[in-house]
Formats: sequence, C-alpha cells, structure tokens
Amino acid sequence: MLSYILRRLAVLPVILLAVSLVIFAILRLAPGDPAMAYLRLSQIPPTTENLALARETLGLDKPLSAQYATWLAKAARLDFGRSYVTGRPVMDEILYYLPATLELAGASLLITLGLSVPMGVAAALRRDTALDHLTRAVAFAGVSIPNFWFGFLLVWLFSVQLGWLPPLGRGGLSHLVMPAVSLALMSLAVNTRLIRASMLETMHHRFILYARARGVGEGTVVWRHMFVNALIPILTATGMHVGELLGGAVVVESVFSWPGVGRYAVSSIYNRDFPVLQCFMLVMTVIFVVCNLAVDIAYAVADPRMRLGGQGGRA
Amino acid sequence: MAIFFRVLALALLLAVPAAPALAGGNELVFSWQSNCGPLNPHLYSPNQMYAQNMLYEPLVRYAEGGKIVPWLAERWDISPDGRTYTFHLRQGVTFSDGTPFDAAAVKANFEAVRKNLARHKWLELVNQLDVLEAPDPATFVMKLKSPYYPALQELSLIRPLRFASPAVFPEDGDTSKGLKKAVGTGPWLLTETKLGEYDLFIRNDKYWGKKPALERVRVKVISDPNARLTAYETGDVDLIYGSGGHASGQIGMDAFKLLAADKANVTGISGPLGTRALCLNSGRGPTRDLAVRQAVAHAVDKAALVKGVFLDVEKPADTLFASDIPYCDLKLPPFALDPAKAEKLLDDAGWKLPKGASVRQKDGQDLEIDLCFIGNDALQKFIAELMQGELAKVGMRIRLVGEESDAFGKRQHDGDFGIIFNDTSGPPYEPHAVVGSMRSPSHADYQAQVGLPMKANIDAKITQALTSTDEDKRAALYKDILTTLHEQAVYLPLTNMTNIVVHRQDVTDPGFMPTKYEIPFEGMTKR
Repeated sequence: MLSYILRRLAVLPVILLAVSLVIFAILRLAPGDPAMAYLRLSQIPPTTENLALARETLGLDKPLSAQYATWLAKAARLDFGRSYVTGRPVMDEILYYLPATLELAGASLLITLGLSVPMGVAAALRRDTALDHLTRAVAFAGVSIPNFWFGFLLVWLFSVQLGWLPPLGRGGLSHLVMPAVSLALMSLAVNTRLIRASMLETMHHRFILYARARGVGEGTVVWRHMFVNALIPILTATGMHVGELLGGAVVVESVFSWPGVGRYAVSSIYNRDFPVLQCFMLVMTVIFVVCNLAVDIAYAVADPRMRLGGQGGRA
Repeated sequence: MAIFFRVLALALLLAVPAAPALAGGNELVFSWQSNCGPLNPHLYSPNQMYAQNMLYEPLVRYAEGGKIVPWLAERWDISPDGRTYTFHLRQGVTFSDGTPFDAAAVKANFEAVRKNLARHKWLELVNQLDVLEAPDPATFVMKLKSPYYPALQELSLIRPLRFASPAVFPEDGDTSKGLKKAVGTGPWLLTETKLGEYDLFIRNDKYWGKKPALERVRVKVISDPNARLTAYETGDVDLIYGSGGHASGQIGMDAFKLLAADKANVTGISGPLGTRALCLNSGRGPTRDLAVRQAVAHAVDKAALVKGVFLDVEKPADTLFASDIPYCDLKLPPFALDPAKAEKLLDDAGWKLPKGASVRQKDGQDLEIDLCFIGNDALQKFIAELMQGELAKVGMRIRLVGEESDAFGKRQHDGDFGIIFNDTSGPPYEPHAVVGSMRSPSHADYQAQVGLPMKANIDAKITQALTSTDEDKRAALYKDILTTLHEQAVYLPLTNMTNIVVHRQDVTDPGFMPTKYEIPFEGMTKR
C-alpha cells in the first residue's frame, strides 16, 4: 500500500509540469493582454509607448519559450513570481487566502456528507413514500438552483428579513453557515440521489436476502451490508465534490465577500494576472491529485477486491 | 440561585451589545471592491485613488466649476512667460510622522516622480518639468520647459504629484521601489489592512486643517454590487458612494432607485463627472461620410435611453463636455432626435434605400457599421442593442461587435471600429487632458478624427491652446476646436456620468466632490 502511495505521489511532478505547460499556453493564447489590463487598472492611457513599457515591466516582451523557461526555473525553487497587480509574491498571497477557502469547502463537505447519507439511505429504504418524494424533490431543486442565487435568497431571509446571520465576511460559525450551505447545495443534491440509487441497487443483491435469512439485525443489514457495499460510487462522487466545492467557492466567495482564494482567482482572471493564475492552477492540481489519491486509498479500505492495486499481487 | 442566573443573563445581555456600540458611533463603514493597496502617492494600481486622496494632499485643489484653490500652497505666482511657477507653502504643516512639510519635501517628492518618468509620461506636466528649486523652506519653484497652462489642474490630481514624508522614502529616493510606511499630510492615517477583508483608517489628530468629525473609517472589501446592497440593507455598511450602474460601479441603477424610494435612506446624484460617449470613425467605412455621422446623431433617442437604461440617474448629454467644465459653456446647438431629418441627410448624400430593402446603399456599398463594445459590460451591450434597433429604422445596419475588454482596448488603440464606446475622463482632466490626447494616435479620439479634412488644423490649435498664456486666446481656441468637433459629429455624447450616494439618516454628508474619486469623509458625521 505504501509503495502504491509513493508511486502515485512520484507522478505528481510530471502532472504538475504538464499542467503548467498547458496553463501557460492557454493563458497566452486566450484573448486579452495583461499589459492593457495593467494600464486599465492604473488608469493610464494605453498608448503604444505605455504598452511597451508595461510589457517590459511585466516581462512579457521576451519570446514565449524564454518566458516559460524563466518561470519554470524559478518555480522549481518554489518562487512563483510576483502578482502583476499587487507586486507581492504570488505563493504568499495564495497561501494567505487558501485557508479561508479550505475552511469553507471543508464545512460544505461536512454538510454534504452529514445530510446526504441519512437522506439518501432513508429515501431508499422508504422508496415511493412521501419521504422519498420529498427527498427527491429537494435533490432535484438542489441540482437546478444556481448556488449564487440560493446564496442571495439565504441572505435575504436570514440577514435582511430576520437579522439572524451576518450577510458577509469571515468570522465565527455564524459567518460560515450561509456560504457553506449555499456551496454545499449542489453536492448535497447530487450525493443524495446517488446514495439513494446505489442503496436501491445493493438492497436487491442476494447477500442481503441471505443476511436477513441468517437473522442478522436490520440495522446491521442496512449499514454493514447495504451501505458499505453502496459506498464505492459515493466515494468516487465525494472525490469529485471536493473539486466541485473548490470550484463553486469561486462564485460563493464573491456573493458573501468571503476572503478566500476563489475570489482572489476571479479578480486575477479579470486582471490577466498570469503569475497568480499559473500558481493557483498548480496549487489546485496538487489538491485534486491528493484528493484522488485519498479516494483510491479509501476504495482499498472499503473494498478488499481493490487492494490488488494493479500490480498482480496483494499490496 | 434563580436570582443569580437572572443577574447573569442580564449581565450577558448588557455585555453582548457593548462591543458593537463601541465599534459604531464614530466609525463609518464604507465598502470598496478591493483593498486600498500599500498607498504610495507616486504609484498606480493596486493603490486605490479614494484612499490615496485620504492620506496625501496636493499643492492646489480642483474646486467646483474648475476653479483652482490653495491647499498646501497658500498662494502662487506665475511668470509672464508662463514657465515659472513660484509656490508659497502653507506654514506649520507636518507629515503624520512629525517630519515638517517644507520646500525640500516638495522637491524630494517631485524628484521621486521624475526618477520614474516613463511611468508618468502620460501626464504632460511631468514631461514639462525642467528645473525644481527650494530657495527657502517656504518657497518652491517649478520651472517648465515650455508654457503649459493646465499645470495647476494637473497638480491637483490624486496621483502622482502628491506628497509623502521624505523620511519614509527608500535610501536612494526612488519611491517606485516602495515606501517604508504610508505617511502623508492628510486628515487620515491607514492603521490596518486585512487582505480580502477590510482597511481601517483613523483620524489624523495632528492634521493641520479642520479635523474630521469621524474617528474611524472602515472600508470593507466587497467585490459584488449585490453583496454591497445587502450589506447596506443589513446595516453592515453605512455608506455607498461612487459611480453607479456598471461593472466597476458601487451598485446598479435599479438598486439605487429602490433605496431612493425608501424614506429611511438619504440618496443623492452628483453633477456631471464625465460624458458617456461613442466615437464615430471618420477614417473608415460609411462613417467617413459626414452625413452618416450626423444622421446617427439625429436618429438615437437619448431620452428613451436615459429613462429605460439609466432610470433617470444620468441625464442626457448633448455635447462632448458638460457646460460647467472650463471653456465648455459654448451653447452649441444639439443634434435633436429627428429620424426624418436623418433620412433626408442620408438621401441627399446618396445613401438610397433600394426597393424592398431595409438597408441603404451607395455605389453598391451597404450602409453597414460595426459598433464595438465590451462584451460583458451589460450597460454597453444594452445601449448597443438599443442603437441597433433605432438606426435600423433609418436604414442603417449595425453589426454588434462585443469583445472582452483588452480586445476592445486594442480596437480603440488601432482605430479598428465604425462606432466605439469612449467615455471622457471627467474633471479635472477636462477639457485639457482629453483634448490633449486627441493628438496621440493610440487614442480612440485621434482614430475617430483622423479622416477629418481639418485634423491637422485641430491638432495645431490644441497645442496652441495648451501652451497659450493668454486667457482670451485660449478660450477662443477651445471654442473653435470644440465647435468643429461638434459639427463634424465624430462624437455621439449619450449621458453625463454621475456619482451616487446612499446612507441612512444617522449619517450626514457634505454633498459631492467636483471629481470622481475624492470622497468627502472629512465632512461626514455619524450619530
């Protein structure tokens, strides 16, 4: 198992190299000129002279291959350059904003898992009852409602009308509730439907019938035999939810003025702040790779058949 | 025991609101789309102009109607040749770190700006600076290479010619490398910045002028206009101040109208702070034809635009500059809404409507014009679509070209447009800086005018107006330039841009400043 994890992690630098190359190319092929954006932000007229100066200041006057080589050489030493906009080291800024986003995404993941498991299991066990219909309706609505709109509805009700929760900013638990719920909505809905479907599929397997025939208690049947076996697709989905939540945070953070890395990335896109975007994508890649690895490890724990690890023997 | 708990509960109840009460009172909460930046008076982004204006002060200020009034300079003399400005500095002024504000400090700041000339080249005064002298602590002499009358207007700008304490300069005096600390002479001090959350300003108790009534101004970082609206409605923000209704605005026009309808709020709309306008390209396509340009001007219904798009928050504009801008009260006859006249102009110029067709033609060429706008700017898109519909009625086909902002900027720069959005900069840049830039090929203004037969003449007159030392001659030149541009219809002025203000009854504000980015926190009080 350990060698498997190490091998997976060893691939990480290769993935990062490939990602960095793709990001570097995409950013520069996309329409938009960071020099023009820089002058717009500075309220300086974009004359030919000023544009040339801005390009020189931002290091954009060199050929692309040279720009990439310079960037890569520095990145290898964990120096990701400075933001075009703030002039501060990019990594410092991302690490400054990242904890807030992880806090938000983490809370949303807890909400997703904490609510979707009981809702999905209950809906499957009480199939076609009012409870099932209600759960499915909620899940359907959750998938359909954009999270920023839902966020505004929450703010309208709990902040503007009732005055119970603060509408923006980061602080205690009260600040976290609405952004986390808005962000979790989509994943929660998807997960609930998935758990319900997976449970329904598992409950018709013969081993469930045998377990009941052996006189195993209903609780054990449901959780030990049905749920654990229904878990594999849910694990995959959870891995994807992490991505979804981090991606969704980009929008939700703007609605709630949450000082996270998503909002920072959005303004960087708008300002064509290339160094920030390059570093942001790499950090996100690392998070995704690690999450996928965690899911794979969880597979192995949940399902002994997967412990082979593709190496022809038991790990 | 029960009594103990009651007392405890009461104590808790009393204790909890104590903290917000302390934060309230003399603290005003405002919001802005980003943090204020390191606040260096000699640099641009990410420094926010409203905040630079809180800490740093100019020699002279731009007042209502373009009047230049004393500030850190109490008075000044201009030599008859218009090249030497002698400023007599206000006495007893110190920077917030205790360093005296004197001629040496002024000179050091000017020199620091000059060290970084390339970055400030856009500002003509910086190019014109020749000899800088500090003959005594109370006198600063600025000699220019050639006479340049807008020198005082440009000294009033928020950046780059304002003053930081020389004690916070880097060793080599090059402030573009960053200051040790943000220290100015202004009424506020920046005491705390929490990235992504807020900036906190406190009153400068050693300020030389009238001290602000407020103790603190907290500026929360809110990037979304809707989030700002809810923050105001829940009392998390006390003040909304700035431009309204577009991407970089504080709140949408509809939100402003909603707040204005509620008696609990005090709302206001400023006077003109620039003109929302379009440039018509006289150098290429059908707009080369004067009749086509004039027809466009007669066919667009600005009243409908003002009512439907701007909800009466902005007023229609008939001329490139508002009449309260210096030299611009020229009573030029507006191009009134008159589709029949537009059609006649086109007919007379040979743009005929073939039988059964909806688009006019001349010499086999369709009357088709590219209208360029920023694709994700909802306001521009809306205006462009409205114009497309109205110009279709007189037989013009408008092709909408919506692109992201940098590609749009490139079109302005290269003159690659038929019609393009191009707002004016507002006071204190009007008219001199806007008119001055009409001579530079990288501006949409130049590109729009390049096909005019009298373009060379216009440019020569602009140069004369900027360097003339004779007030009457200058006024006559401006009249000439602006009348020609108006008659040639290379601009389609739409509305006068404005600032909006919203606050509750517990805040009093002194009204609007004459320029866009100055916010009068000094004159505000909060009960």
